[in-house]
Amino acid sequence: TCLSGTSKNACQSEQHLGQYYTVPASHFHTVFPHGLPPRYQQQVKTFNEGCVMVRQPALELISHLKRADYINPTLRYLLYGVKGSGKTMSLCHAVHYCSTQGWLVLHIPDAHLWVKNCKELLPSSYHASRFDQPIQASNWLRNFRTTNEHFLSKIKLRQRYVWTKRESTEEGRPLGELVDMGVSRVKSSSDVVGAVLKELRLQAGGTEGGFRLAVAVDGVNGLWGRTTLKKEDKSPVAPEELTLVHNLRKMINNDWCGGAVIATLSQTGSLYAPSSAYLPQELLGEEGFDSMDPFIPVPVSLYSEKEFESCYLYYLDRHWLQHPHSQTEEGKKELIFLSNRNPSVLERLCAFL
Amino acid sequence: MAASVTGLLKPWTPRVLLVRWSRYNPYYLEPEPRKEVYHIPETELTPEQKEERELKSVRPIKAATNSVTSSVFNDPVLSKFVNMMMKDGDKIIAKGIITQTLENMKRKQVEKYHKAPEVKKAEIECNPYVIFHQALENCKPVIGLASIQKGGKFYQVPIPLTDNRRRFLAMKWMITECRDNKHRRTLMYEKLSQELLAAFSKEGNVVKRKHELHKMAESNRAYAHYRWW
Repeated sequence: TCLSGTSKNACQSEQHLGQYYTVPASHFHTVFPHGLPPRYQQQVKTFNEGCVMVRQPALELISHLKRADYINPTLRYLLYGVKGSGKTMSLCHAVHYCSTQGWLVLHIPDAHLWVKNCKELLPSSYHASRFDQPIQASNWLRNFRTTNEHFLSKIKLRQRYVWTKRESTEEGRPLGELVDMGVSRVKSSSDVVGAVLKELRLQAGGTEGGFRLAVAVDGVNGLWGRTTLKKEDKSPVAPEELTLVHNLRKMINNDWCGGAVIATLSQTGSLYAPSSAYLPQELLGEEGFDSMDPFIPVPVSLYSEKEFESCYLYYLDRHWLQHPHSQTEEGKKELIFLSNRNPSVLERLCAFL
Repeated sequence: MAASVTGLLKPWTPRVLLVRWSRYNPYYLEPEPRKEVYHIPETELTPEQKEERELKSVRPIKAATNSVTSSVFNDPVLSKFVNMMMKDGDKIIAKGIITQTLENMKRKQVEKYHKAPEVKKAEIECNPYVIFHQALENCKPVIGLASIQKGGKFYQVPIPLTDNRRRFLAMKWMITECRDNKHRRTLMYEKLSQELLAAFSKEGNVVKRKHELHKMAESNRAYAHYRWW
């Protein structure tokens, strides 16, 4: 039931359902500098290895990605489910598959981080009514650089970008230069993000360049709700008025081809949404649902019996369940009862048992 | 009126039922939270247990407190520690701190375990409950001091301590040490886990305090005969 070894992502199939596969340690820093849930990162550090369970939603996503043809406009996949059922982990599984297949991965760890708790909100230089977020943009660009090192030198810009009176990036320069400029010049980093997204959209389906683009957004419902940010005269900021959100919405529209958009709904970081809401209709709102409209919904359910068994045996094997009673049948029944097979609740329970 | 009163002569229950109070009429019996007692089939009961069961079907029973569970993971020593940690009746925060402490200790030990070579793996103790109990044992003083007045002066006299008193002193020292003598910015669960791991290996400030108490008692041996009980 557990530890099917470091089998290659491409040959995972229904036989491996419920089994764990190990992500090589080198991949963690390159592929996931910012994407994983914080408790999972702690677990990786404790066990000295990262194991992900192969589950039905992730397998379905990967099979769709294998069979889709990339000449048509992009397909959008939406992972939804109750709180703690494993949506972010399925997204990370799909992202790992994409990066092992050599795609360019655009992973936004949590869209809610861009619409709340922003200390510096600069008015944008490019467009008068929009606002820039330099810190978030420069952090994201730094992580983007670590993820996609080998693509940065290959992709060339198709347009000239002027930042200030003295600085501009010419046509034909590599993308890496643009990203470096965004990281160093923090003031114009949001506009750099917009430029990067536009370039990738134009070049993704191209025959000469020939790379595929995967856009992975966690907490996509944050792009269409309300924000907690306020302008200087204390009036609320709508999400359209933020450059980062505006550019990201253009990415999620399916008017480009040559890639896929994988999105996750998230209630935990969402603003002004009730805690019992988990369906796409409730969390995205009218506007969001209309813009995401032709999408493929992928429901993420709680652990089945086989998956629960597998998780329990994995924890036993890693010496994580230490309480003598938790290793008996009665303790196991009690764990099932207390957690209702919810993955995150089970993880928190086993942490102190 | 006499007719209605005779109809109401049942085994006595007051009109206002007492729940969650701690002072009950001695008529009330204690609740039995352990599951094993109820799983014994009818035939295997001893005569005393049968009598007890019949009594329980007649008499009222006190309400069980919130801290007592029939779960296998229930630990009375840990519950006592949580109660001592609690401030202003906020058990949720105290319980949360203790669970974070146990998790933190387990993480540190499991990390050490996975990084250690094969030979040393058997020596590393990963179970946070075992560490907690052993650390508490290592902090319990064997002998205590009492202030006794003789001839106008007060002398510190060494006296034996009961088990409850020793457990109480160990927990009290642990909590006060963590609250007072650590860096201001570290969180309580971090301070507690460091202190418990140190006490498990018999280092740290709490065992030092225990040793100092023992030394004081040893130095005041001469006054031991001032104790009259």
